[in-house]
Amino acid sequence: MEQLDLTFVDQIVAKVGTGPEKVLEILQAIQVHYGYLAIEALRRTCELTGIAPASIAGVSTFYDQFRHRPAGRHIIHICVGTACHVKGSAQILEEFRRYLGIPDGEDTDSQKLFTVEKIACLGCCTLAPAVQIDDITYGHLTREAVPKVLKDFLAHEQARAAAHAKSRRPRPLKAGSQGEIRIGLGSCCQARGSGRLHTALQDALARTGTKVPVKRVGCVGMCHQTPLLEVVLPNAASFLYARVQPEDAKAIVLRHFGVKWPHKKLTNVVSGALDRLLTDEKWEPVTRYSIHPRDQAVSDFLGRQIHIATEHCGHIDPTDLEEYRRHGGFQALEKVLKEWPPEAVIAQIETSGLRGRGGAGFPTHLKWSAVRAEQAEKKHIICNGDEGDPGAFMDRMLMESYPYRILEGMIIAARCVGADEGYLYIRAEYPLAIKRVTEALEKCREHGLLGARILGTDFSLRLQIVAGAGAFVCGEETALMASIEGRRGMPRLRPPFPAQKGLWGRPTLINNVETYACVPWIIRNGAEAFARIGVGRSKGTKVFALAGKVARGGLIEVPMGISIRQIVEEIGGGIAGGLKFKAVQVGGPSGGCIPAAKDNLSVDYETLAEAGAMMGSGGLVVLDETDCMVDISRYFLQFTQNQSCGKCTFCRIGTRRMLDILDRLCTGKGERADLDELAHLAATVKKGSLCGLGKTAPNPVLTTMRYFREEYEAHVAGRCPAGKCKALIKYTITDDCIGCTICAQHCPVDAIAMKPYEKHEIDLEKCTRCGTCKAVCPSRAVRVE
Amino acid sequence: MPKITIDNRDVEVETGTTVLHAAQKLGISIPTMCHLHGHEATTSCMVCVVRLVGASGLVPACGTVVRDGMRVESESDEVREARKAALELLLSDHVGDCAGPCQMGCPAHMNIPQMIRQIGAGQLHAAVVTVKQDIALPAILGRICPAPCEKACRRRLHDEAVSICLLKRYLADVDLQSPAPYVPLRQPSRGKRVAIIGAGPAGLAAAYYLQQDGFECTVFDDHDEPGGMLRYGVSEQDLPRDVLAAEIARVRDLGVTFKLGTRVGVTIPMAEIRSHFDAVFLGTGAGTPEQVEPLGIKASPDGIKIDSQTSATSVSGVFAGGDAVRRRRLTIRAVAEGKEAATSIRQYLRGELVAGGPRVFNSRLGKLYEGEMEILLQSASAASRRKASGSTGAFTGEQARAEALRCLHCDCRKLDTCLLRQHAQAHDARQARYKAERRPFVQQTQHPDVLYEPGKCIDCGICIQIATEAGEKLGLSFVGRGFDVRVAVPFNETLAEGLKIAAAQCVQACPTGALAFKDARGR
Repeated sequence: MEQLDLTFVDQIVAKVGTGPEKVLEILQAIQVHYGYLAIEALRRTCELTGIAPASIAGVSTFYDQFRHRPAGRHIIHICVGTACHVKGSAQILEEFRRYLGIPDGEDTDSQKLFTVEKIACLGCCTLAPAVQIDDITYGHLTREAVPKVLKDFLAHEQARAAAHAKSRRPRPLKAGSQGEIRIGLGSCCQARGSGRLHTALQDALARTGTKVPVKRVGCVGMCHQTPLLEVVLPNAASFLYARVQPEDAKAIVLRHFGVKWPHKKLTNVVSGALDRLLTDEKWEPVTRYSIHPRDQAVSDFLGRQIHIATEHCGHIDPTDLEEYRRHGGFQALEKVLKEWPPEAVIAQIETSGLRGRGGAGFPTHLKWSAVRAEQAEKKHIICNGDEGDPGAFMDRMLMESYPYRILEGMIIAARCVGADEGYLYIRAEYPLAIKRVTEALEKCREHGLLGARILGTDFSLRLQIVAGAGAFVCGEETALMASIEGRRGMPRLRPPFPAQKGLWGRPTLINNVETYACVPWIIRNGAEAFARIGVGRSKGTKVFALAGKVARGGLIEVPMGISIRQIVEEIGGGIAGGLKFKAVQVGGPSGGCIPAAKDNLSVDYETLAEAGAMMGSGGLVVLDETDCMVDISRYFLQFTQNQSCGKCTFCRIGTRRMLDILDRLCTGKGERADLDELAHLAATVKKGSLCGLGKTAPNPVLTTMRYFREEYEAHVAGRCPAGKCKALIKYTITDDCIGCTICAQHCPVDAIAMKPYEKHEIDLEKCTRCGTCKAVCPSRAVRVE
Repeated sequence: MPKITIDNRDVEVETGTTVLHAAQKLGISIPTMCHLHGHEATTSCMVCVVRLVGASGLVPACGTVVRDGMRVESESDEVREARKAALELLLSDHVGDCAGPCQMGCPAHMNIPQMIRQIGAGQLHAAVVTVKQDIALPAILGRICPAPCEKACRRRLHDEAVSICLLKRYLADVDLQSPAPYVPLRQPSRGKRVAIIGAGPAGLAAAYYLQQDGFECTVFDDHDEPGGMLRYGVSEQDLPRDVLAAEIARVRDLGVTFKLGTRVGVTIPMAEIRSHFDAVFLGTGAGTPEQVEPLGIKASPDGIKIDSQTSATSVSGVFAGGDAVRRRRLTIRAVAEGKEAATSIRQYLRGELVAGGPRVFNSRLGKLYEGEMEILLQSASAASRRKASGSTGAFTGEQARAEALRCLHCDCRKLDTCLLRQHAQAHDARQARYKAERRPFVQQTQHPDVLYEPGKCIDCGICIQIATEAGEKLGLSFVGRGFDVRVAVPFNETLAEGLKIAAAQCVQACPTGALAFKDARGR
């Protein structure tokens, strides 16, 4: 075997350091460099750092991100999050593997070009089903699109390699008085080509000589319309364009800023432009994409929303500190540092009724008071940005779009509890969030908002980012702290709570991203203003990631107490494609499914808990009549039994046994007794598990059994009413077949023989129930039985 | 010092004490597997769960530190059910046999694997003791037993069963021919008398064990010679009478009295037996019902009705076994029933609850997957089954030893100390409660003294702690996540590399048979 050059390990250790808490960072660097964690590299790390081999072995096998065998040149991450699952990610995975000819038990093609891996959730739920190839995200995939995607990626790679030499970065333009063009640069927008649109716009502006600044803004929330582009004219009139393509850039510039062209350039540019203007076909896309806040759909989408954590959404540049300040940023911090004593701030938080936005809804002021009350040399503060729920992307959007707001909230909290050192734990699947927060941290340090003597006071705080490495359980606070300390992310029994014994045994405040993001608004606008929003004990707003079968998915911030129907029907525009609304999955693997019949339910902590679900961190995946509830349960149990840290019996084995039963039900091998056994196991796992992951893991099963018992019964009888469970269904072609042969051409396994002008037939032995034929049939002649 | 109540009993303990230790102070034993005194609680097995009154859910007692005023429930149905569920979940993922299939197949549950290993190691006397713990008449059975144990022997799946029955006969013969055949130690007399009616295999076995326990046994039989159907139902060719006599003599050696030519109910009235003896065992063979019904003992046409767990008849103090209970003509079963009845009679005479022998929990490996037989064969002799060459069809010493080496050692090396087995038994846990596809069977054999079977590991991590504390260079670590977490040596190294100094400590601390010492032959 070839000797591995270990110089890189030496370099990275020299750069990062040798403490046990550096293990994740070192492993991540090794993985990036070598493509996997070679044992020689790990041994070398042990020699250099004094980190025990047992520790490295434990950590490196705990997180999804790490590979232990070489990978292909490019890695295809197939998102298997909830929204992607219900939109067919399993078929996409199958197709990538089939197309690349990857044999069972392997994950890389024979040419070592592509490695196909599943990823728990990319957090691009509105693009479902989505895949990420290296750093490029592709959304709305179909089986058909797989070859095209690979081709596009390779072409892009080539172009990138070619452009690498003469990289010319467009200089950021300063805001002027002649209006501006805003482009959403959240992950969803970027995945849908907003980066390329940005370049095309810069290009169009340069070529037309238009001096209008192009500004990147955070997520607008309307992810179903991405990429979004907003044109703001000098008179403040604004025009919003949705689903804009790079080739539309010039037409849009022409439309709004044509008058300002220098005359000499007019001739040649306009002649080209006029061609386009004169061609209906060319113009049509732009008009088609044009939406206006007064349009019904847009006003419905935005109308019910209240922006607190997402304040100024779509207006401000995520990392422009000056702009954040112009919009009231860091005023709250000034107040807290210079005017209000910490007790008064905590009292404000109490009055506001703010509760933890990470899931459990623990009153925020209690946590703060508890940490404040501790006498200790040193205290820590942590921001939990390990948003691991499949189907959730709120925290990603907040971190990508409003990093300063989160930092401001964190600094305020740190001041109140007396912490002077802290961490933002952000999952590695969110590279853009890490980048933006890193940038924001740097700027804050430069401007005296972080570091020693903040804003000239005697308060100091050092903050740094820790990148997670792919483990859902690290969202649990004790597991997260173990992870920061460089250990396996295994939760421990509480008490002691982090407020008493947290990071490195010291009192630690740990809050979720969104919780911190609400704090500056509360301080600036007053606790009463916040408390006026919401219902009962659930005050203020909640940010949700709305995805799944809904017509308009996206990031929304709504007042607590809004009904499910208002979210799904009014904001989300109902179910896409005219299908029937069946249920909404709230709160991911810890939450549950609320049936359509209960859509008048108020969305608040207590009501959701009573209904058997929970707020969770705020993933809302809408399901329609083609979604099988047993399959959904099975999906979540697959997730939890894999994500369990493996420590306690109930969670490690209990969730697996629940999955075994669900597997039997979905493959037609279930028996009546299995349903009782499943209910019994669910109750036992809920009662006996050590941490929140295990205690809530049965919720998806318990709620679906409660609201959709008849579907479970049907599976026992060998039927899948939604037509989803492959072993229980078959595809047939009806007499409506017109003999067009399209199905035969598209069938990936040749289960349909080509018979022009005759009725086609499906060979059920060969058929893999992928559903392609049904999707492509122009005469709706494919039926699922 | 915080005061708490456990099961409504008050206790005051030092600050920082766990519920587990507070309970110990009260004499309440909370079961635990993963907790090891002096080590950090791993809160992993969850067999120690208790309920804190007022809190939702259950908490592990090993890791829960007492707080003043805490109220703990440790004996409620809910708690017991949860503990049982934890055990049953662990068992659903436990790959391996407790006792081997042969032992489970033997009606007397003789510890066959141990006997075989003792023969293999040349410890013949110890092997005889092993045999006679469960089988009172091994020389006789060594000749006439149809050997259900051999039908259960796993080696049959590869070639042929280990010749268990002949090995047992070999041992018994060697013993009987020795100058001082084995006579077990007898407990001092307890001053209680037991009448054994019938000197057949069941009666002889009952007398053999009860006499050892210090009870005065008198065996009645209407024939002039003892042996029952062994004498009158088996040919001399199959069972030479000198062997029969020699083995019965060993029962006599213990001090058992024989009243032969005495027909109970005719020569001596049953009433007299009842008044002279504290308990009665009916080992009267087939055709008994008509004789006992007049005595008020319930019977069916097949035989005397007994409680299957305790061998007790409908009359207090009267027990029965062997063909008197059901005609089946399997001597080993009669011998087994004699032994079982002895257990109940002992309990009865000591004034204890008559419950019979404990229902022993037994994990089963079940059907082998492809390639797994090869793992078991690794440490066994490849030779095929020996034919006995002796003139009477007996093994020579050399043959016996060679045959013994064919045993696959299916049984667990921690049979008697495994906490999973003990708690499973105490909680009446069933391994088959949760249907599951089992993990592959794996044995890591590279360590010179220790065998590691990951399939028996409960992921408690005690060994990881011990290895770290001992300063092992490589040590052990959890590897993987979720259901697939296993304990392994870092960097795919062998256990020999991982545990250079702490192996013995880890074996002792391991609550199951996952880490175990290899046997004398290094297997």
